[in-house]
Amino acid sequence: MPKQYAMIIDLNRCVGCHACAIACRAEWDVPVPNQRNWVKRLGPAQTSKGLSYTYYPGLCNHCKDPACVKVCPADVRSMTFTDKETGKTVTQEVAATWKDPFTGAVLIDKNHCIGCGMCVEACPYGARYLNEKLEKADKCTFCVERLEKGLEPACVQTCLAKARIFGDMNDSNSEVAQYIKKGAKGITSAAVNIGPNVYYYGKERDIELLFNKCAPQKMPQASVGERRNLLARMIKGVLPIA
Amino acid sequence: MAEITRRHFLQAAALAAASIPLSRAIKVYAEEKKPDFVPKGSFEDTQSIAGGVCEMCFWRCQLVGKVRNGRLVKLEGNPKSIDNGKAICARGNAGIMLAYDANRLKYPMKNIGERGNPKWQRISWEEALDECGKRLKAVLDKYGPQGISMFPHGASAKYPMDFFETVVGTPNISEASFFQCRGVRDQAYLTTYGHTCDENVDMANAKVIFLTGSHLGENIHVSHTMSYLKGLENGAKLIVIDPRFSAAASKADIWIPIRPGTDTALLLAIMNHLITKGLYDKAFVQANCTGFEEFKKACSLWPAKKAAKECDVPEAQIIKIAELLAQNAPNVAIHPGRFSSWYGNDFQRIRALACLTALLGAYKVPGGFTNPISPKTGSVKWKDAAEPDEKINMAEKWPFHPPGTPTDAIRNAGITGKPYPIKATVIWGQNIVQTIPNQAMTIEFLKKQDFVLCVDVMPTDVTMYADILLPEPTYLERYDVIKKGGKLSTNGPDKQYIAARMPIITPLHDVKDSIFITNEIAKRMGFERHIPVQNQEEYVNKILEPAGLSLEKLRAENGIHIEESTKKAYRNGNELEFETPSGKIELFSKELAEKGFAGAPAYTPPPKRPAGYAHLLFGRVPVHSFTRTQNNLWLHNEMPENALWINDKMAAKMGIKDGDRVKLVNQDGLTSATDTVVLVTPGIKTDAVFLPHGYGMRNPMLEIAKDKGMDDQSLCSANCVDPQTGTHGIRANFVRLVKDGKTISFPI
Repeated sequence: MPKQYAMIIDLNRCVGCHACAIACRAEWDVPVPNQRNWVKRLGPAQTSKGLSYTYYPGLCNHCKDPACVKVCPADVRSMTFTDKETGKTVTQEVAATWKDPFTGAVLIDKNHCIGCGMCVEACPYGARYLNEKLEKADKCTFCVERLEKGLEPACVQTCLAKARIFGDMNDSNSEVAQYIKKGAKGITSAAVNIGPNVYYYGKERDIELLFNKCAPQKMPQASVGERRNLLARMIKGVLPIA
Repeated sequence: MAEITRRHFLQAAALAAASIPLSRAIKVYAEEKKPDFVPKGSFEDTQSIAGGVCEMCFWRCQLVGKVRNGRLVKLEGNPKSIDNGKAICARGNAGIMLAYDANRLKYPMKNIGERGNPKWQRISWEEALDECGKRLKAVLDKYGPQGISMFPHGASAKYPMDFFETVVGTPNISEASFFQCRGVRDQAYLTTYGHTCDENVDMANAKVIFLTGSHLGENIHVSHTMSYLKGLENGAKLIVIDPRFSAAASKADIWIPIRPGTDTALLLAIMNHLITKGLYDKAFVQANCTGFEEFKKACSLWPAKKAAKECDVPEAQIIKIAELLAQNAPNVAIHPGRFSSWYGNDFQRIRALACLTALLGAYKVPGGFTNPISPKTGSVKWKDAAEPDEKINMAEKWPFHPPGTPTDAIRNAGITGKPYPIKATVIWGQNIVQTIPNQAMTIEFLKKQDFVLCVDVMPTDVTMYADILLPEPTYLERYDVIKKGGKLSTNGPDKQYIAARMPIITPLHDVKDSIFITNEIAKRMGFERHIPVQNQEEYVNKILEPAGLSLEKLRAENGIHIEESTKKAYRNGNELEFETPSGKIELFSKELAEKGFAGAPAYTPPPKRPAGYAHLLFGRVPVHSFTRTQNNLWLHNEMPENALWINDKMAAKMGIKDGDRVKLVNQDGLTSATDTVVLVTPGIKTDAVFLPHGYGMRNPMLEIAKDKGMDDQSLCSANCVDPQTGTHGIRANFVRLVKDGKTISFPI
């Protein structure tokens, strides 16, 4: 079975230190105030299961059905993906962002990205941003570039609490699969259920607060005005547009 | 769900610009922008430089730096470390932004304006050092060594501190880490056990972890937090005594929201229960403790019922805690705390913690209070050094004071001229405006000086009061401290390690290290013959020498030397020796009694809360080390201001909502200069508010930090000095809210 990379956030271990967010910023040169990786502090607040003071360490969910991929207006090209382990290849039509068929990571080709920001708008989790300097979309890659060098994701490496566990959820022996089996959940709501692959584990009260405060309640929609702006940006310098 | 699809988008695009094919527009656009848009990871084209020792706080994690073309792009934990390993905290990760902070002190400056309202003029090092030498010498000649005071903090301040203490000969040295933080704790353990404690509780192997006020998680020291989490992972029960539902309380099995400042009564009641029910470790106490009878009597003053009322804690909870501790003894971690300067009755509270540890036999056992064995290193002493003259030492009024002189005594002498004038002050790495309670007095002290020298990496609120302001390299650009420690093992030999701080990058700007600065000042004051070392490397090598190490050897070992310990830190049996006057653990101290203090731990209630006011509690957030890190862009961005916690029931009665902006006014009528945002929460006692410490800096040179959040220290005007140690209690302050210019009292 192809891999699906996933991350567990164990809130029983997390102490909310924010190291993950900063390590990511350093690793990928993410400009303030943008973020690929964040920590929001929640509470202390009352829940139906008692008082909770917990955290929302967030990142791209590398969703099963990513809303960001399908809105990309860049030209479609044929791209051949190779499974690093088996050597098997698959060719797919993709725009500037796609979901890798062998790892499940949602990635961007920065050289092909036109910087329109459609994908940024489309993500219900706010996991993408537009790098204003480069005029390119950017997001968490699960550090696949580091994985290729035999390194852990930057946020996992720096986590003193070992609260971030990375692996292949399709491998039933993996620690992430074990966590999912014992109840780790992706953040979803009735309106937003696109198969997130970051899974949260913790006390009932902490999960309740996390979902109440952080689960997105609607899928974003781009307005017509927004689309016009995007278009104006794209063809800026090509045509004189008022 | 109206989905945005690529097809929809193209339709919209076609409507908006029908005349050009979108694909062509994009193609042209892409061709125009050719640079590599793909960010390089820290592993690409970088060199790994080991040997860094962090100083974003003072835990000193061991680092490696990833450097690309001379620029530091990332800091990581040194994979060889047996202390922090590859992990570092948010502050550690953000150290890069200290090195590249645009507001760093970059060259020597002279204040041609006034103190507190400075005008800075760049001067040469030669001129700056001449001026320092001349003016310090003038004060020394006119007022004697006691006319100079020093406020040092951090590794680079050690060498100049030794110079001023043992060559110039002033006893008037006050470190915030002692007198406004943990000195009282160390002195209480020293008095009880004959040695200090640091935070050496073996939480990783504990069955119960007992915290009074320690908010681990909000207060982050990497290996310490790892040890705590290891303990929890292994099933340790966590008891947290705190008026606030802290990060630690949120993980606790038992959270006791105690009335602020009454902890000693609770501890005495726990110990009274252990004694009266025979639940303490009789064999250990018999073999190793002295003064049990007097101690027992002192504890009996606080039966659980009485303490329950005093502390606002159910009696049954007190008994439950005592029994949980007894059932799991001796493998219980009674945490000595870190920031301990609370209410000016702190020595007795920490003594109670030390005694509780002894009653449970939780000493040098897995899970207990166990100092790891650390390698021996040397020291650098100034030539022909001497201790300051006892006759000019003001500290003796507080017989159990930590090293140095209580800050309050120095400040009073500087203001009143009694018992003698203090006319020059050297402030090295410490922001005394935001560490010492009562800012108005500190400012008056500074304004009355003939000369103020500040040495630091960044501007702070106190550097506004300098006459000469000198820039140091950051911890990433210099040699100085030796970090050493030990790692306990329950099933094999202990390990120990030594690391030295070595530069990861070459210093930016026209900065000079503390060895150079101190030596040059010493020469200009006529003390050249006392100089012990010529440079940083020689200084560090001398300290390493007795361990058979050198910088060269450490570098060859990737920055850390690790070896097995020949002895175990855990005890073998019950017979122990202590370097106390009695040779035993002093449950009752004759020395204390002889000097007019309670010989056994005793509870003094904290100053009474005035009606309408709440206790002002403060503490840490994980992304800052006090004021030191406030201007760090990455850290600032994580928590741009310090939310004020207010109890939800109180807030409802006061008409305050979550997200409101308020100022605070304290019991002496002092109002905060800035406002901050309110966090309404059930997670704090009704009679208290909580404000994270370190925010609200005022120095205009801090372009990021200035006026962000609220300065808790500006509201700490009560001067509670602990009678045994001379340390400052800083929590005995009370506040009301100010919203839209209107003062709002707490309805209690």
